[in-house]
Amino acid sequence: MHYEIEIAGRLRQVAVTRTGDGFAVAVDGRLRQVNATRIDAQRWSLVVSAESKSDMPARVSYDVVTTPGPVGGALTVHVGSIPISVVVNGRRRWRRRDEGAGSGPQRVAAPMPGKVVRVLVAPGETVRARQPLVVVEAMKMENELRAGRAGTVSEVHVREGVSVDAGALLIVIQ
Amino acid sequence: MRKLLIANRGEIAVRIIRACREMGISPVAVYSECDRTAPHVRMSDEAYAIGPSAPGESYLRIDRLIDAAKRSGADAVHPGYGFLAENEHFASAVRDAGLTFVGPTPDAIATMGNKTAARAAAIRAGVPVVPGSEAALDANVPDAEIATLAASVGYPLLVKAVAGGGGKGMRTVTDPADLAGAVRAARSEAATAFGDAAVYFERRLVRPRHVEVQLLGDTHGTVLPLVERECSIQRRHQKVVEETPSPVVSPALRASMASAAAAVAKAVGYTNAGTIEFLLDENGRFYFLEMNTRLQVEHPITEMVTGLDLVRWQIRIARGEKIDLDPVLLLAPRGHAIECRVYAEDPDNGFLPSPGRITCLRTPSGPGIRDDSAAAAGLDVPIFYDPLISKLIAWAEDRPLAIARMRRALDEYLVAGIKTTVPFFAWLLAQPEFIDGRFHTAFLDDVLAARNGRPFAETTAETEEIAAIAAAIHTALSAPSTGDGQTAAGAPARWKTEARLESLRGL
Repeated sequence: MHYEIEIAGRLRQVAVTRTGDGFAVAVDGRLRQVNATRIDAQRWSLVVSAESKSDMPARVSYDVVTTPGPVGGALTVHVGSIPISVVVNGRRRWRRRDEGAGSGPQRVAAPMPGKVVRVLVAPGETVRARQPLVVVEAMKMENELRAGRAGTVSEVHVREGVSVDAGALLIVIQ
Repeated sequence: MRKLLIANRGEIAVRIIRACREMGISPVAVYSECDRTAPHVRMSDEAYAIGPSAPGESYLRIDRLIDAAKRSGADAVHPGYGFLAENEHFASAVRDAGLTFVGPTPDAIATMGNKTAARAAAIRAGVPVVPGSEAALDANVPDAEIATLAASVGYPLLVKAVAGGGGKGMRTVTDPADLAGAVRAARSEAATAFGDAAVYFERRLVRPRHVEVQLLGDTHGTVLPLVERECSIQRRHQKVVEETPSPVVSPALRASMASAAAAVAKAVGYTNAGTIEFLLDENGRFYFLEMNTRLQVEHPITEMVTGLDLVRWQIRIARGEKIDLDPVLLLAPRGHAIECRVYAEDPDNGFLPSPGRITCLRTPSGPGIRDDSAAAAGLDVPIFYDPLISKLIAWAEDRPLAIARMRRALDEYLVAGIKTTVPFFAWLLAQPEFIDGRFHTAFLDDVLAARNGRPFAETTAETEEIAAIAAAIHTALSAPSTGDGQTAAGAPARWKTEARLESLRGL
């Protein structure tokens, strides 16, 4: 099995092969023997060894948790208590949406579920970078959503008082 | 007192249930729609539904809480913190229903809950206050008059809600041009949070520390101050880390802050647990800020260094018992304690709220560690309430050991499914300014602004490699069951079978 795995913006080629009591895993050609034992649906105990002592990772035993993300291929992997965002075979699954982030329309979406308490712009209005657009209240705090860069408001999809889900499209700026 | 209704939710409801159990008192819970399966409901003897999830329709409904208390036959009510804890009408309603309110009198709540009246009380007690406007500005005061008053207080200043607390309804204004907008925002937030839009001004001191004194007052006239808590680590005026004792308070300063705090409390005939908040300037001068007429979120650190159970004392005082503690010991902390408030927020995305389902939870334990929490794997963190999911507390013989212990505990703490501030705390506790105790109330906001969004959860080549290995094995073993045709397509049939078996065994 071969995967293309993206972490922190860098792609790694990972090959996985079953061995007697675990897996042989090559990350960009560096080979590890990994005994992976499932603790429950998300938790794993990994015991890792390398071909030579000089090539060993800092530890042998790792407690990891894998949490599937909202879209196929996206995972959060906790190594210790630190969450690491991972995308498996992202290029095959979807075209990179963040390409060309400096041009084209800006789509401002709700980062969390909440209630729209104020809409500060109207269609046709010009906005400058960092200008507040919408105030969404969640968990008793008011969160200002701002324009990423200057432009003209072309669409306003919400009004004050409505509840929105995470990811709901609020404003489009040209 | 045989049966106590807890008019709250989350970790504080669980905390009070534990005190009830240890005292042989039967705890009664209340819950909103989304809290039906919350730990405080499952841990109590009785539980009553009080309405929809929005706090205004449940945990803030005095009528429904009193009704639940009567139906259960409870003889007392504990308000916890937040919600109605500092609402004198609730305290009155509890008393009028013939029940004991575990907290101060409605009069004391009303006086100290009004920030301008509280400042007047401190001045009467001979305790210095932060310079500011003495009268509240209600919604009818014209903008021009507001601007004149602000100029007389001086910039930079703080716009604060008269009924405020916890940083809500509060704005800093450096430039007079921002004044009107800040007043509007503070009023709107204050009206939503407290039902009172009145605000006042306070001069912003240069690099002050927030140091507060815990008090216990009984109904026989005794008021005893306890060792101070250092709460200067704040984000947008919300405390995020607290510790005791303060790294900068000498025994002499402690004694003088303690007696000032007791003088303010005595001036208003204060009973039960309360906290006097001070600002401490760089020259060691302190100013009365406000009083919190309730149990504080950060009360556990005081419990760790004094050995007291403050909730138990709240209940004993409410029953009319006398405080028979040695005042000298209350000001002599044993060791050092630190608390981190773990929130369901994404520190790498501007601390935006991150509600949702906790899918996996590993909580720290072991020597000197206390986790006051109501979080559990499989439960949702609702969008309706404060995003606090846990208070992680570390105690050790001295401050360096307490920091080391907290860092160890943070390392053990794992929450999957939602984002939390655990990685942020791991970063903060490694900062030289924190380790040396060199900070003030704006320290955290300043360093966060300077970091400009750099992630806290710093990965290394090592952890990234392990994450890649884990992700690959996870995908290889779960490919057929997730219906991912693309990755499974090239796999031999034997692999698929094995993977299915593996996932069955694993689940």
